Amino acid sequence: MSFALALTTLILFLAIGIWIAAILDALFYRRISGQGGVSVLSPFYAAAAHLSRQRLTTEAPDRLNWYLAIAGYLAIATIGLAVVPFGPETAVIGIKTSVVLWGACESLVVVLVFLHGWSPNSPLALIGAYRYVAIGLPIMLLSMFVLIAAALPARSLDLRDIVASQEGLWNVIRQPLGLPLFLLLGLSLTLRGPFDYADSADLAGGTSVEDSGANRAGWQVARLAMLVGFSAIAASTFLGGYLGPVLPGIVWLAIKTLILMAVVIGLSHLLARMPVARMLGLIWKFLLPIAFADLLLAGLVALA
Amino acid sequence: MTNLAFYTLSALAIWSGWRVFRVDSMIRATFALMVSFICVGGIALLMSADYIGIATVFMMAVEMTVMGLFMVMFMMNPAGLNPMQMVHQHRFSIGAGIAAFIGLTVAVLATNLPNNPLPAGRDTLHDLGVELLGGSMLIFETAGVTLLATMVGAVVLSSRRGRFGDSDAGAVPPGLQPGGQPAGRKVEKSGGHGGHGGDGSHDMNMNMKGAPKSDDAPHKGHGKMPEEES
Amino acid sequence: MTLTASLVVAAALFGIGLFGALSQKSFVMLMMGLELMLNGTLLAAVGFWAFTLEGAPKGQLLAILVMAVMAVELVIGFALVVAVYRKRQADVVESLGTLKQ
Repeated sequence: MSFALALTTLILFLAIGIWIAAILDALFYRRISGQGGVSVLSPFYAAAAHLSRQRLTTEAPDRLNWYLAIAGYLAIATIGLAVVPFGPETAVIGIKTSVVLWGACESLVVVLVFLHGWSPNSPLALIGAYRYVAIGLPIMLLSMFVLIAAALPARSLDLRDIVASQEGLWNVIRQPLGLPLFLLLGLSLTLRGPFDYADSADLAGGTSVEDSGANRAGWQVARLAMLVGFSAIAASTFLGGYLGPVLPGIVWLAIKTLILMAVVIGLSHLLARMPVARMLGLIWKFLLPIAFADLLLAGLVALA
Repeated sequence: MTNLAFYTLSALAIWSGWRVFRVDSMIRATFALMVSFICVGGIALLMSADYIGIATVFMMAVEMTVMGLFMVMFMMNPAGLNPMQMVHQHRFSIGAGIAAFIGLTVAVLATNLPNNPLPAGRDTLHDLGVELLGGSMLIFETAGVTLLATMVGAVVLSSRRGRFGDSDAGAVPPGLQPGGQPAGRKVEKSGGHGGHGGDGSHDMNMNMKGAPKSDDAPHKGHGKMPEEES
Repeated sequence: MTLTASLVVAAALFGIGLFGALSQKSFVMLMMGLELMLNGTLLAAVGFWAFTLEGAPKGQLLAILVMAVMAVELVIGFALVVAVYRKRQADVVESLGTLKQ
């Protein structure tokens, strides 16, 4: 597959993924609250409504950083999807350290969400930004251990090699602790459910409380894009990515991404959010040791 | 192509490094520094240091987030909303900076640098891994132990309770003039209670004497008017 | 992209960092100056590795050590800032004219 073809695939994958993610999100919400189904066109209605509204602003905002945060979040999600191999040896960004590149994207997400909360010059948005940094940094630490553990059997930091190493056995079976921990990271990266300390309802929308019009539409699209990118990464790291019988690789990748996307959205609607202090205790004292154990197990298996 | 990318990244690195000390907003300064680091990471990638380049980006993103939080905590004017003189010995510093740049540049240009470039197609990532856990393992482990010692040291330094009582016992803010009254808050006689010990008694004074003072609103910062003992 | 060009860029970053470290009143801004100086050092280390060592991995090791130094500097610096602020309520360099109190 040539580079141009891979790039086209990436854009289509992202666009369709965002659309499906928006529908799934609305569907879960309406099912749980006992309302009916949802129209497949509803994301477009919502986007059109946002875009046609006036863009309000606050007093003395940091306008440059406001736009940069939204655009950067979308860009980071796209880079995340770009390191995912669509087939053997085919990825838009094919470097040897693509897992480390994804790690860099994770840490930049914390920066950009903080900027998004900082720049409107508004108290609720700033509280959301601070809470997110407190939670986002340790949960990212946890994902580093999980990713290194996943890279161990492949003996490579290249996501293409990691997928190829799952030919016989998927990482989700080889390292049972990995995927659940990684999904928690996904909830945090996409600002969802129990890890939604940035944009939550208890802060009237948190960092996005002052977003209106096109800004709000852009931020929501970026969040959904991050969900797509994260799910594709998780599918490649733990569910064998493009590997699968009969169907072409890209279809398998799409199916696995869709399943993980549904799981993340379901978790985000079903799990409750804890106070920040208790969540910090849970991450540092409970989840981080489990991530250590995951890495230790992977190391022992690699030695054996 | 590589050259164009190199010069663009270099220019951006230097420009954003310069912006760090010219912008008003501390958050902008912090993230300008981060942009500078990311550009250097990009240059390292161009030089085919695959791991170093990207590791720079993710380390610096985390470091600068923490840096930004500390900025907001410890600066009088984090968002740059009111103008404020933040520099001292300005001319001397400019001179020192320019002198360092010119000196280093002259040294670079005057030296006959060796030219043994990286052979094309060498697996630098594999090299690095073997080196870190092979020949230079002692150095690598020393760095690890140093980081551990740093963590312990940071916790000891920044914890409030210590062997000899609280670290802020009897703490007095510096005066606005040399040898003058402590600025900002009043310290209780018993000491040991940091933060805003003075505010409660102020309110009581106001209630009892019925003599409201216009500047008696809870000033919690520092660098405020020295207050009279009542 | 040559060794000379990358070293000159590194020198520029170092110079700006030195200016910042000397001129800023606030501790935290002072540390940003130090970080920028180390940024120049990092670039110089990677440049030397790429152009003069024929890819000897010890050059990359040096770059990793520079990063470790940055982390140590930052962490100890912040801890000191917190300790000094507790004791003196001070966040600018001038208020540390003397170390005894």
